[in-house]
Amino acid sequence: MRVPIATLRILVLLGVFAATVLFFASQIDGYLNARLFNRISGSVAVIALIAVGQAFVVLTRNIDLSIGSIVGCTAYFTGGILIAWPDMPPALVPLLAMAIGASFGALNGLLVARFQLPSIIVTLATLAIFRSILVQSSDGSSITTDRLPLWLTEFATRNALTLGDLQIRWIVVVSILVVLAAHVFLTRFRAGRTFFAVGSNPDAAAFAGLNAARTIFLAFVISGALAGLAGFMFLARFGNITVVAGLGLELKSVGAVVVGGVNIFGGSGNVLGVLIGAALIDLIDTSLVRWDLVSEFWREAVLGLLILLAVAVDTTVMRRILRRKPAGGGQ
Amino acid sequence: MPPVLDMRDVSKSFGGTMALSSFSLQLEPGRIHALVGENGAGKSTLIKVMTGIHQADTGEILVNGQPVTFRGTADAQRAGIAAIYQEPMVFPDLSVAENIFISHQNRTQLINWAALNDEAAAMIARLGVTLDPRRAAAELTLAEQQTVEIARAISLNVRVLVMDEPSASLSDHEVQRLFGIARSLRDQGVAVLYISHRLEEIFALADTVTVMRDGRHISTNPVEKVTQGSMIAEMVGRDMTNRFARETSNDTGQVLLNVSDMARTGVFRDVSFSVNKGEIVCFSGLVGARRTDVGLALFGVQPADSGRIEIAGQPVTIKTPAQAQALGIAYVSEDRRKLGLALTEGITPNITLAMLPKYSGPFGWLDRLRELADAQGFRDRLNIKAANLSIPVGTLSGGNQQKVMLAKWLNTRPRLLIVDEPTRGIDVGAKAEVHQILRALAADGVAIIIISSDLPEVLALADRILVMREGRIVGAFAGEDATDEAVMSLAVAAPAALVQVA
Repeated sequence: MRVPIATLRILVLLGVFAATVLFFASQIDGYLNARLFNRISGSVAVIALIAVGQAFVVLTRNIDLSIGSIVGCTAYFTGGILIAWPDMPPALVPLLAMAIGASFGALNGLLVARFQLPSIIVTLATLAIFRSILVQSSDGSSITTDRLPLWLTEFATRNALTLGDLQIRWIVVVSILVVLAAHVFLTRFRAGRTFFAVGSNPDAAAFAGLNAARTIFLAFVISGALAGLAGFMFLARFGNITVVAGLGLELKSVGAVVVGGVNIFGGSGNVLGVLIGAALIDLIDTSLVRWDLVSEFWREAVLGLLILLAVAVDTTVMRRILRRKPAGGGQ
Repeated sequence: MPPVLDMRDVSKSFGGTMALSSFSLQLEPGRIHALVGENGAGKSTLIKVMTGIHQADTGEILVNGQPVTFRGTADAQRAGIAAIYQEPMVFPDLSVAENIFISHQNRTQLINWAALNDEAAAMIARLGVTLDPRRAAAELTLAEQQTVEIARAISLNVRVLVMDEPSASLSDHEVQRLFGIARSLRDQGVAVLYISHRLEEIFALADTVTVMRDGRHISTNPVEKVTQGSMIAEMVGRDMTNRFARETSNDTGQVLLNVSDMARTGVFRDVSFSVNKGEIVCFSGLVGARRTDVGLALFGVQPADSGRIEIAGQPVTIKTPAQAQALGIAYVSEDRRKLGLALTEGITPNITLAMLPKYSGPFGWLDRLRELADAQGFRDRLNIKAANLSIPVGTLSGGNQQKVMLAKWLNTRPRLLIVDEPTRGIDVGAKAEVHQILRALAADGVAIIIISSDLPEVLALADRILVMREGRIVGAFAGEDATDEAVMSLAVAAPAALVQVA
């Protein structure tokens, strides 16, 4: 019995994750403890959300570089609205953040799907534009923890359950639920299947009567909405929102997506892998800070190397799978 | 005259297919040598070996009596061999002069524009044509771009120029000018190898004619010694024992599809035909006869501009593939890898892709067990050989990929199935299986249109054969009455003969 490629990939990722933990445990005294888990799980929750959004976009052969700016913007605007209307029902706030993020994503989607502009250029431009909107808006007033309602900052540290010293926070639970929902949507629903089809072969999708433009638009809206939800969590975790909020998240999200085994040329991938990819990237990022042998300024370089390695492995594997040329000669 | 290019017993195979087998050809300076053969006779492979794109497996190539080995096109170019193609390969953003001198690697880095433009103008003038060397190639007509390509070849002191179907996209007037260029090259001592499907051009232009078939050299004669009839006989003259057996027709006589005066500007026109339930209608013709475009129009991918389409007596409009599907039309495209299959995905999702609504319940929840059951059904029925149903279809053999394609469209339960080149690039065993599948479908009452360049296949399967040439249907045969020669002579007929037939 052969193991399907997708399952194999997840097993390999889990192996790499375990090996990384063991490696740092051997290098850093008192590394393996509950605090490590508690610290990392909180930041993974945020990165996993945007990585899943990014995965939808990458599946359709596109990329969303504006995702970090969307996180920053939604965190700022949601905070501003909460300061103005502190009595807003708490349940509405994450939905509001998602709506704000989705509207940013819809702009990206419109430009890419409707006007057929290359996504790398569109989102590079909106990365700068959304960031400037944030800089302009935050000019007068900035968001600080003491001006936000207490329930919000408490939400970030509220535990859903505790196992000994291990604290599983609500934001982690929400994030995992989102990943699972995305997984079920992509693998079990008709609309999910079209993301793979459009990314795998846009021409074949058109022949099969599928609407590629709508699917790509939807991918950007989902990416924006999940970035919005991540922005809400960001606001809850940090409270203080400055103009650099969410800076550099595009790199981490793309990293998590490709390390998690989504084909950067679209058409194949699995969001469970993306979750592990996000965890792996954050684990390395956090652990390097504590590792004496290597300066923490190498963190970005290690992330970059990891992305290169993942893409190289993936491209080689895919090329080998699709290497066969149609038989027969010329005419 | 000793030959400038002498190919001796050159063979080249791809996988198990012999594209060239012990092929010999001598080209003499100052002569125009024509090369003819059916689709798939090995002409393209021959050119690619000659120009260094492919390397021969065995055999010798001599230039001016010296044995040579071409590791790439640069080697062939140095030896004075160049080719131009039906679709000119020019750099659209560069000027005519830049295009001509782009291959001159050893020129100085600092460009003297005035001198360059003068040189380019002189080069073009040698061809008896006027063209402003400063114009961008993108602004030029196809014929002018071809002229630029020829000028580029001359600037490299070409001694052998291969012209591969250069006239296929040109107007009559432009063809005359092209002939003028070819003759002036000949008079300057160049050996020209001229490849064309238009046999009448060969009588107007060539000194010598070589016929090839199935990768083999059949004959080389002075043009005075051949006729259209003798060339056609040699082009198709297969061993008839090799012919696929015919089976009884399933034609019910009830018209399903009726097309009248369908046209798409600049592509095809006056296309009228009908297909009955259970009937297999084959479109025959040469590559470029626009058969695929007729299929794509019926499936709404590139809709027709005018004409009437009726299905089961009802007039219909087909502007998108979704509309065509809703009418019960399925289209199995010629290019599996580009247009047909999601190569990174498994067999099951490929088979169900065009029918996702069938498998989805509330909110689009997919019934994966039902998908799997249907995929397994097709795997058994079409004998798809694969380790399991989730392996990426890109890893399957060509024959099995083709079966997955068929399964995908059979799953839509079509009334009309259009299949473009159903067996291209698949082995003989799989080919027979695909034929059997198509016959079984006809027996179930499906109307089938097959677009095929494989004449034995057409003769074995067709209840009716429609021959297309240059965007028009130029003749029809009942399947059992047709012969290779009759179909081929219609496909390559001279325009004068064409008018009489139509």
